Amino acid sequence: MLEFLIQNNIVCHAVEAMLFASIACSVLAVVITQINISSIGFTMAHAAFAGAAVGIFFSINATLAAILAGLIVAVLLGPLSERAKISPDTALGVMFGMTMAIAIFFIAYMQSLGRGFDASGLMFGDVVSLFREEIYGLAVISIVTILFIIIFYKEITAIIFNQKIAEAAGIRVRPVYYAMLFMIALTVALCINIIGGLLLYVWLVTPAAIAVQFCNSIKQMFIVAPIIGAIVSVSGALTGLEYGLPVSPLTAVLFSILFAAAIILSPRRRISMRKE
Amino acid sequence: MSIHGQKDNAVVVLDHVFTAYEGAEHPTIRDLSLTIKQGEYVIIGGPNGAGKTTLLETINGMLPITHGKATICGMALAGDGVHVRQKVGYLIQNFAFSPLTPFTVRDVVMMGRYGGLGLFTRPGDADYRAAEEAMKSLGVEDMADIPIGQLSGGQQQKVLIAHNLAKNPRVLLLDEPFSNLDLFARERISHLLESLAKKGVTIIIVSHAFDDLPDRPIHILVMKNGTLIHDTTCAPGDVEAQVRKSSA
Ligand SMILES: Nc1ncnc2c1ncn2[C@@H]1O[C@H](COP(=O)(O)OP(=O)(O)OP(=O)(O)O)[C@@H](O)[C@H]1O
Ligand SMILES: [Mg+2]
Repeated sequence: MLEFLIQNNIVCHAVEAMLFASIACSVLAVVITQINISSIGFTMAHAAFAGAAVGIFFSINATLAAILAGLIVAVLLGPLSERAKISPDTALGVMFGMTMAIAIFFIAYMQSLGRGFDASGLMFGDVVSLFREEIYGLAVISIVTILFIIIFYKEITAIIFNQKIAEAAGIRVRPVYYAMLFMIALTVALCINIIGGLLLYVWLVTPAAIAVQFCNSIKQMFIVAPIIGAIVSVSGALTGLEYGLPVSPLTAVLFSILFAAAIILSPRRRISMRKE
Repeated sequence: MSIHGQKDNAVVVLDHVFTAYEGAEHPTIRDLSLTIKQGEYVIIGGPNGAGKTTLLETINGMLPITHGKATICGMALAGDGVHVRQKVGYLIQNFAFSPLTPFTVRDVVMMGRYGGLGLFTRPGDADYRAAEEAMKSLGVEDMADIPIGQLSGGQQQKVLIAHNLAKNPRVLLLDEPFSNLDLFARERISHLLESLAKKGVTIIIVSHAFDDLPDRPIHILVMKNGTLIHDTTCAPGDVEAQVRKSSA
C-alpha cells in the first residue's frame, strides 16, 4: 500500500505491518491502561502466543489458533475482571504461567525436532517474511479498532471513567466490555507474528503510558497514543532493516527510552513556584 | 408501561424481595416489601451494615433479586435492569478518582445523559444543554473544565449529583449525599431536592443527617439486618425521633 513511498518491497511491507499493528495496539493500549486491565492484556498476549505455537506445531492456521486462545482467555477472565468483583491477580497468574508453559513446551519441542525456525518469529517477531494477506488483515484490524472506539465512544469512555457509575447511569456496560476484550484478543492474535509473543505486551501498554504524560483528556489520548505508537514502530522498522538489527526488540527498546524521557519531561511532575 | 397507567402512582414497589451478593451464603436483603409513591421524599435510616446501600442497588437493578418481585417506574425489574437505570439516578456512597483521571467535570456530567441515549446515538444540543443546567444547579459550572480527580471530595460529590440530575431521573437514589458537604452546600442541595420532589421526582436518601429536611411529609424507612423494621410517614421535625425510637 505504501509502495509509492518506499521502493524496497521488503522494507515497504515491514513498515506497513508495523504501522498497522502499532495503530491497533496503541488504541487498545489506551483502553487497557485506563481500565487497569494491563494484566489481562498481558495474559491475552501470552495466550495468543501459546495458541499460535500449538497451531504451528500441529500445522493448523497459527493465527486462527491464536485468536481462539485469546478468546478463551477473554471468556474465562472477563467475569473475573468485570466490576473488579474478585481480584483477578491470582487467576491471571495461574493462567499466565500455564500459557507460557504451553508456548515454551511446543517451541522447545519443535526446536528439538529441528523445526525451530518456524517458532522464532513467534517469540521475537518477524517483519520480513510476511504474506500480503497478513498486511491486509492488519490494515483491516487497525481500521476496525478505530471504528470500534468511535462507534462506542460514549460507552467506552464511561466504562473507563468508572464501571459502577457507568452501570448506574443506564449504560450497557457488559456487552461493550466483552466486545472490548474480544477486540483485544483479535488484535493480539493478528500482531503476534510481527511483534512476537514475548514483546507484544509493550505495544499494549507503553504507547498509552507515554501519551498519558502529556494528555489531559481521553480524546487526546486516543489520538496521541496511536501517533506515538506508529512513529516509534515505523522508525524502529526502518532503522532495524537499515542496520540489520532485529526490528521488534529494537522498537520495544525505543518505546522504553521514550517512556523514560516522557516521565522526565512530563508537565505533570512540575511543581509551580508561583506565589499566587 | 408508563407511570400514568398505575392507579396509586407507586414508583417503587418491592414485594417480598430477597437480594444476595455473589458468593455470599445468606441473602443480604430478606423478605422486604415496600411501596414508594411518585414525588415522595424518603429517608432510609439504620445502623452501618443494615443493608441500606444494598437496598438502593436492589431498587435500580444493579444487584440480582433472588426471590420476590420488584416494579420500578412501572417496569418489572428483570434481566439486567438497564431500562430501569435509565430512569433512576443513583449517587454512590464511596468513590475515589485519581488526579490523573482524564475526565473533566463536564465530561462526567454529560455521562449522565449517555444511558438515555442508548447505543449508537451521539449526544446532541439538548444533552449539552441539560448538562450545563445540571452543573449550574449544583454550582459547579465554573469547574467544568477541571479534571474531576483534582477536585475536593465535596466538590466531586456535587459533580456526581449533577451527573444524576442531567439524566432527568424519575427516581433519585442518594447514598449519604451530605457526608462530604459543607453547611451551605447541604442547604443548597436540600433545596434542590425539595424542588425536584415538588416537580414529582421521587427522592430516596440514605442519610443520618436530619436537620435540612424540606417542609413536607417525610417517608421514613428504617432498616436492620436486611429487613425493614419501620415504615411510616411523618412531619420533618419528627424524623429524628422516629428513627431513634425504631432503632432503639
Ligand atoms: N460486595 C459485597 N459482598 C458481600 N457482602 C456484602 C457486600 N457489600 C455489602 N455486603 C454485606 O451486606 C450487608 C449490608 O451492607 P450495606 O453496604 O448495604 O450496608 P449499609 O446499611 O449501606 O451500611 P453503611 O451505613 O455502613 O453504609 C453488610 O453486612 C455487608 O457485609
Ligand atoms: Mg451504605
